[in-house]
Amino acid sequence: MNQTLLNLKTMKYFQLAALVVLLLSSCTLEGQEERSTGTIRGSVKYVADPQRPWRLGRYYIRNAKSGEIAEAVVALSRRGLKAIDPITQKKTVSIDQKDFQFSPETVAIRAGDAVRFLNNDSHVHNVKTSHPSQSFNVTMPVGSEHVEVFKSATGINQPYKIDCVFHHAMRAWVFVFDHPWFYVTGADGAFIMEDVPAGEYRLEVVHPAGELREQQTIQVVAGEILSVEIRIQSKSDKS
Amino acid sequence: MNSMATRREALKKSAVSSIGLMAWLAHAGPSFSQAASEGELVPFLDEPRTPINRLDWEVLDTWLTPSDQVFSVQHYDVPEFDYGDYRLEIGGLVKQPLSFTVEELKNRSKSEVVMTLECSGNGSNKGFMNAVYNSRWTGTPLAPLLKECGIDPTTSEIVFFGKDKKEEILRPGTKRELKVEVPFGRSMSLSEALRPDILLAYERNGEPIEHRNGAPIRLIVPGWYGVANVKWLSRIECRDRRYMGRYMARDYVTVRGERQGDEIVYVESSVTRMQLKSVVARVMRQPTLDNMVPLKAFGAAWDDGTGIAKVEVKIDDGAWQIAKLADAPRSKFAWTFFSIDLGRLPLGPHTIVSRAIDVNGRVQPTADDDEIALKKTYWEAYEQWPRNFAIEA
Repeated sequence: MNQTLLNLKTMKYFQLAALVVLLLSSCTLEGQEERSTGTIRGSVKYVADPQRPWRLGRYYIRNAKSGEIAEAVVALSRRGLKAIDPITQKKTVSIDQKDFQFSPETVAIRAGDAVRFLNNDSHVHNVKTSHPSQSFNVTMPVGSEHVEVFKSATGINQPYKIDCVFHHAMRAWVFVFDHPWFYVTGADGAFIMEDVPAGEYRLEVVHPAGELREQQTIQVVAGEILSVEIRIQSKSDKS
Repeated sequence: MNSMATRREALKKSAVSSIGLMAWLAHAGPSFSQAASEGELVPFLDEPRTPINRLDWEVLDTWLTPSDQVFSVQHYDVPEFDYGDYRLEIGGLVKQPLSFTVEELKNRSKSEVVMTLECSGNGSNKGFMNAVYNSRWTGTPLAPLLKECGIDPTTSEIVFFGKDKKEEILRPGTKRELKVEVPFGRSMSLSEALRPDILLAYERNGEPIEHRNGAPIRLIVPGWYGVANVKWLSRIECRDRRYMGRYMARDYVTVRGERQGDEIVYVESSVTRMQLKSVVARVMRQPTLDNMVPLKAFGAAWDDGTGIAKVEVKIDDGAWQIAKLADAPRSKFAWTFFSIDLGRLPLGPHTIVSRAIDVNGRVQPTADDDEIALKKTYWEAYEQWPRNFAIEA
């Protein structure tokens, strides 16, 4: 009898414990769901239009047939992205001035990051921008450098256009974001964004030199890799 | 960001697909602009990307430059005005001042001139090598208009003013500082202004001149550097005093040392007539054979209308070789295309340079020759332009 009672008590204890564990594990799963992330892999390809030839595209497109385009900026856009992953470690990227051009021409950073401008050319240069959010105008003697912290995220639509006041053909773009999900394509046109919180986004692409622009809506699923191919095309006549 | 893969590959694609690509020399004759599928572009090293609205040497294939490769420079702001209100005034020391609308100018006798127009600073550094283009300008000749006004015998100089204005500061920072708003102006002697080939142009290559390039009316002075071709022309004045505006007397002044005995005497002169010049535009290759690569080069030469007699090309420290000048198209004030078969060159780095020689035997100087080495200002940058390239297997 006592043994039976004990067994019943023990069973109730285990049932209660199991319920607690179940509840706790349920809470944990729910929390994981909120923080679950996926990956976006893709490539940006230029689609040639015989009616709108892009002569200078040769600098960015290695294979005219397949169209992979370098130096395109790819970024996510959605309300609330800024709050998800605040910047903790600020970094500095470099833009050199060599052979009368900025190299690289296009960089993308987070607000609070810095750009180190260098002059490894044989002539005096300059770095200047007149962006509404931040302006500077710095003469760059041969061998000099200037570090500029970009405080304001102006996103994919309002990059900081950098000029050299002495050599008007020189130009560069600094894209500043308030989140970490952006990428500048290499020669293979490829991009990757990892640890992207699951959800719906607008995936935007801009090629500043080619004045190209494209966007599409994507759905990132937790634990999955989303493959995206972005085909970008001239919408106006250009060089 | 990943580094761009070989530029050579990109240029190869571009070169092969380019419409109207310069013909491979084997096709001979005046075929600079014929389509060709032979050859692969060998890119020049250590040179900047071609910017928009500048001549794209590496794909140079047309004698008349398309508008998307035309440079524009202005020293004051681009003026905004209604072409309907536009009038060209001709006055000063004349019996009868005249005024013309655009339509009235278009209704006068029409003339054309093909002319290579170059910024006088073009070639001063490798970041500024593309400010030159060739155009067919259409307009009405200037000389008959001046004569109709009845030029006063005391007139020695004709001044051309644009609609673009700016406040100039003379003697800045001194007690005699003077601020005055002035229109952009350039001048020339009366005899120069009466040349029959100077136009008041309203079309370039059969199309209305673009506003950035001086519409509705631009002064076109064949054989003179770009600055003399006044844009947005608004007033022509006959004067009996030297005009000393900024862009005649202070800027666009070449300061050059001249040897007089043992002395070097520096002389200042206003930038006017274009100097003798040539440029290698591109090098094309064939496949490697026994570690040697057949190469051909193409380029352009121009001057103030004196006449290009020949162009020579040199590879590395080799001998000068005579290039073939295109038989056609040719025009007195327009660039002449040239081409040369360079034979087979070994793999590795090379330098190529051209020099133009005019009908008077004048030779385009090197950067070390006195006329360049003793020049203290960057205008009139007409020295030989060596370009580096590397031949890969």
